[in-house]
Amino acid sequence: MLFFCTSSPITSALHYQKVSRKFLETEGPGWVAEGIISEEQRQKLLARYPPEARALGLLPLLGSILVGLSALSLVAANWQALPNVLRLALLLSSLTGAYAAGAYFLRRGNPDLGHGLIGLGLILFGASIILVSQIYQLVGYDVSGLLAWVVAGVGLSYVYGSRLLVLLTVLIGAAVQTYCVEALGSFSYATALLVAGGLGYYWWRRPEVVSSNVLAVGLLWQAALLVAATHSKITWFFVPAMLVYAVGDWQPQRAGGRALQGPPLVAAYLFMFGLATFGETDTYANVLRPPLLPYLAALAAVFALSVAGKRARGRLDTLLDWLLLLPGFYLPGGLPLAVATLVVLYAHAGSVLARAHRHEDPGQLTIGAVLFVAATMVAYFKLTWAFLDKSLFFLLGGVLLLGLSWYLRRRNAQVLAAAAPPVAQQAGTPPITPPAPSETSSLNV
Amino acid sequence: MSDLLTWSSAPARRRLLARLLVAAQVLYVLGVAGAGYATAALGQHIVLATTPVDPRDLLYGDFVRLHYHISETPLRLWHDEAGPPRRRQGVFVLLAPGPDSLSTTVGVYAKAPQPAANQAVLRAWVTDVYRTSFTLRFNLERYYVPEGSGLRLEEAGQRHPLRVHVSIAPWSQARITKVEEQLKAPEPRR
Repeated sequence: MLFFCTSSPITSALHYQKVSRKFLETEGPGWVAEGIISEEQRQKLLARYPPEARALGLLPLLGSILVGLSALSLVAANWQALPNVLRLALLLSSLTGAYAAGAYFLRRGNPDLGHGLIGLGLILFGASIILVSQIYQLVGYDVSGLLAWVVAGVGLSYVYGSRLLVLLTVLIGAAVQTYCVEALGSFSYATALLVAGGLGYYWWRRPEVVSSNVLAVGLLWQAALLVAATHSKITWFFVPAMLVYAVGDWQPQRAGGRALQGPPLVAAYLFMFGLATFGETDTYANVLRPPLLPYLAALAAVFALSVAGKRARGRLDTLLDWLLLLPGFYLPGGLPLAVATLVVLYAHAGSVLARAHRHEDPGQLTIGAVLFVAATMVAYFKLTWAFLDKSLFFLLGGVLLLGLSWYLRRRNAQVLAAAAPPVAQQAGTPPITPPAPSETSSLNV
Repeated sequence: MSDLLTWSSAPARRRLLARLLVAAQVLYVLGVAGAGYATAALGQHIVLATTPVDPRDLLYGDFVRLHYHISETPLRLWHDEAGPPRRRQGVFVLLAPGPDSLSTTVGVYAKAPQPAANQAVLRAWVTDVYRTSFTLRFNLERYYVPEGSGLRLEEAGQRHPLRVHVSIAPWSQARITKVEEQLKAPEPRR
C-alpha cells in the first residue's frame, strides 16, 4: 500500500496522492508557461508524487473470483475420489498458499496482485468451511460456522487496509446472511452487526466513494433480509436504510458521506416512484402500512439524528432528501395518494436541481433533470386522463422547468457577483479539491 | 492520527496480525473437521428411513438426494399454541425408535421439547403446509457418495427404502454417518 512511499501516513494518502499527481500533470505545463514555476521545479514536484500503478481495483477482484471458481470446479470434479485427509490437506495448503503469495507480492510492491491473492485466500477459507462440512456430511443449525468467514474478512480488511477486501467482505456478509435467512429461516444479528460495525468503522476512517457505495448496498441488503425474516411490513425497511443515510450525515468527509447516502436515497426514490405509479389501489397500499405511531416515531428518531448530523457538518442543504421519506402510503389510495406522491416527486426533483445550481455541479444537474422528467412522465400517465388536458399539462410542466432554471440562474449570478474575488479564483480551477480534513469541509456549504 | 485501522496496518504489526489471522483460519477449518468426528463419536445416533424416489431424480452428480419418510408429517403431530406451522419456520422434530430401530415422529414443536430417555430431537424447517399435513426439510437431503463405497444407491433407492444413520451432536450440528440398503444385501456390488 501507499504507506510505504509517503512520509506521512494520512488515512486518505492514497487518494490525495493520485489527485496531486494528476493535478500536477495537467496544470504543470501551464504554470511553467506563465512563469509561475520553472521546468526544473515542475520536474521536482512530479518526482515528489511518483506515478502509481494504475489502480484497477476491479480486475484483481474479478480475477480472484474466477480463479477461485475454477479451483472449486476442478476440485469438485475429482473430489469424491480423494481420501478425506488429502482433501483437507489440499484445502489448507491452497488457503495458506494464497495468503503467503499475497503477502509476498505486497512486499514486492505489487498491491493489486497482493490484495487479489489475499482475497482469493479469503474465498478459499469460506470454500474450505463448506467443503469440510461436506466431507463429514455435517450440517449446522445456526450460522456460526460461516460467521467465522465474515470475521476473517473484517480482520483482513483492517490488517491490509485494502478496498478489495472490504468489497469482498461486504459480499461475504451478504451471502452468509442470505444463506441464514433462506436455509435456516432466521436472521443472523451477529453477521449484520459485524458488517455494520466492523466495516462501518473502516468506512468512518476511510470513506472512499466506491467502498461507501458498496457498503451501503450491503447494509441495505441486510436490512431487506431482516424485514423478510421477521415478516414485517416492507416499509420498515426504510428505518434501517435511513439510519445508514443518517450516519452518512455525520461523516466528516462530505464525498464519502454522500456516497454512503446514495443507495438509501435510490431505494427511497424507487419506492416513492412505485407508489406514484402503482399506489392507487387501496388494497396494495394497505400492505405497506405499519402501525402508525411506532413507525413514525422510529422514522422521526432517525430523522432527528440525520438533521443533527447535517447541522453539525453544515450540510443542511441536503435536508430535502427527506421529502422522499414522507409516508404517503397512509393516505387513502387513489387520487389523493397519486397527487401527494407526485407533488413529493416534483418537490424532490426541484430540490436536487436547486442544489445542483448552487454548487454548479453538472452531474447533479443531470440527475435533477432526469428526476424531473421522470416525475413528469408519471404525472402524464396518472393525472392527465382524469382532469387535466394533456397539452395544458405539458405547457405547465415546461413553464415550471423554464421558470425554475431562470430563477436559479439569476440567483447564481447574484451570488457570484456578490462574492466575486474568492469565488472567481475558485471557479478558475477544476473542482478537484482534495478530500479535505474535517476542518475545511464546511467550505462545501 | 492513531486509530484501530492505522494501528492494525502498521507494517511491523501487520505481519504478526496477518499470521495470526491465517493460523486462526487453518485452525478453524481443522476444527470443522474435528466437529465432524466429534459429532459421530459423541452425538446421539438415530436411523431414518427414506422413501423410494424416481431413479432419474436420485443421483445428482456426486450426491444422492434423500427423501425421508418422516419428511411428510400429519398436522395432528404439530404442537404449538401460536398456530399452524408457517413455511420456512424452524421446528424441532421429536423422534422415537420404532420397530426395526427406525425412528418415527412423535411430535413436531416450534420450541425445543424435552426428549425422554430413548427419544431424540432433530431440527428441521417447514417447506410446505397442506390441509392435513406438512412437509419438512432437514438439510440432510444430500448424501455425498463416498467413492468406492460399493453401494449402488441409485439402484437400491428405487427398489426399497434406504437406512440413513444420523448422529445428532449435543451442540447444534448433525451429520449422516452411513447410508445402507434396508434389506441386508448379500455383498455390495461394484
